[in-house]
Amino acid sequence: MDKALPAQAAFETDFWKDASLRKLWDDIVPGEARKTLPYTLTQEAIALYCKAVGETNPLYLDEAAAKAGPFGGLIAPPSIHILLMFACTPADDWMRSPGTINAGQSWSYNLPARPGDTITLQARALDKFIKRERLFVVHDNVFFNQRGEVICSGRGHTIRPL
Amino acid sequence: MTTSFDTLSAGDVIDGPKFAVSRESIRLFCDASLDYNPLHLDDDYMKGNFGKTNFGGIIMHGMANFGLISRMLTDWAYPAGAIHRRLETRWLTPVRPGDTIQPTGVIKSKQTTAKSRWVLIDVTVRNQHDERVATGEAMVEFPQGKIRDITPD
Repeated sequence: MDKALPAQAAFETDFWKDASLRKLWDDIVPGEARKTLPYTLTQEAIALYCKAVGETNPLYLDEAAAKAGPFGGLIAPPSIHILLMFACTPADDWMRSPGTINAGQSWSYNLPARPGDTITLQARALDKFIKRERLFVVHDNVFFNQRGEVICSGRGHTIRPL
Repeated sequence: MTTSFDTLSAGDVIDGPKFAVSRESIRLFCDASLDYNPLHLDDDYMKGNFGKTNFGGIIMHGMANFGLISRMLTDWAYPAGAIHRRLETRWLTPVRPGDTIQPTGVIKSKQTTAKSRWVLIDVTVRNQHDERVATGEAMVEFPQGKIRDITPD
């Protein structure tokens, strides 16, 4: 289900494409909202993510077991925000600049994401600074489900390409 | 042994899963996370082109460490009726194809608040040379009631 949503089918995997359109560190305004895309989370995407990190927990993968479990149905692993971050980020956004280096993150989890959820992201740079000749940005991200409930919120540091 | 808030004490160890990193596992993580940053795809990308940072070949996504730590925490917490609530990590050393990494957790402290109970856990990911590749801290909630009571859908 929901397989053919155009925004998801058209995910651009070449991070060089439109690279010149993206904001440089110089242009990033802390506090300014990033443009983001809603994303429908599918069971297929959850299963692929689970495979990539070796998750085998039936709460994520076995519908009958999940239904009998504490969440009353299938959920995504909390770290699914790793996928949601890119899924909700348009191709021309500076977050996807080639060479962006992740320097550390912290995430707080409220409610699990579930298959079929329509996920939205509110995101911005909160701060930017220079340290040891490297250009840093502090990221501020919150994911919501279709009922406007917070799924998780996170803060991260990236080093921007020069 | 069943993990419970009352029997846990500082110094208790949580063993995480070993994970073999290969070009294929990194590529699969690209597909699963939609993170196709050339750092993880193109060996030549960084040559001479990246200021202070040059890893000399593709590296694993830092967030794969994060995902692996998260897997360890949830596999430990759910059977105890507990919930993984927070994870903070820093990357120390790049991970490359051919490395094998493994997260571990050590219980740091317990905290009871007005409405719930919390366990703080120091986490470390090491490679096959016993080098620390990532460190962090996690917070797991041991609710007084059942998980279902606090996660309505």
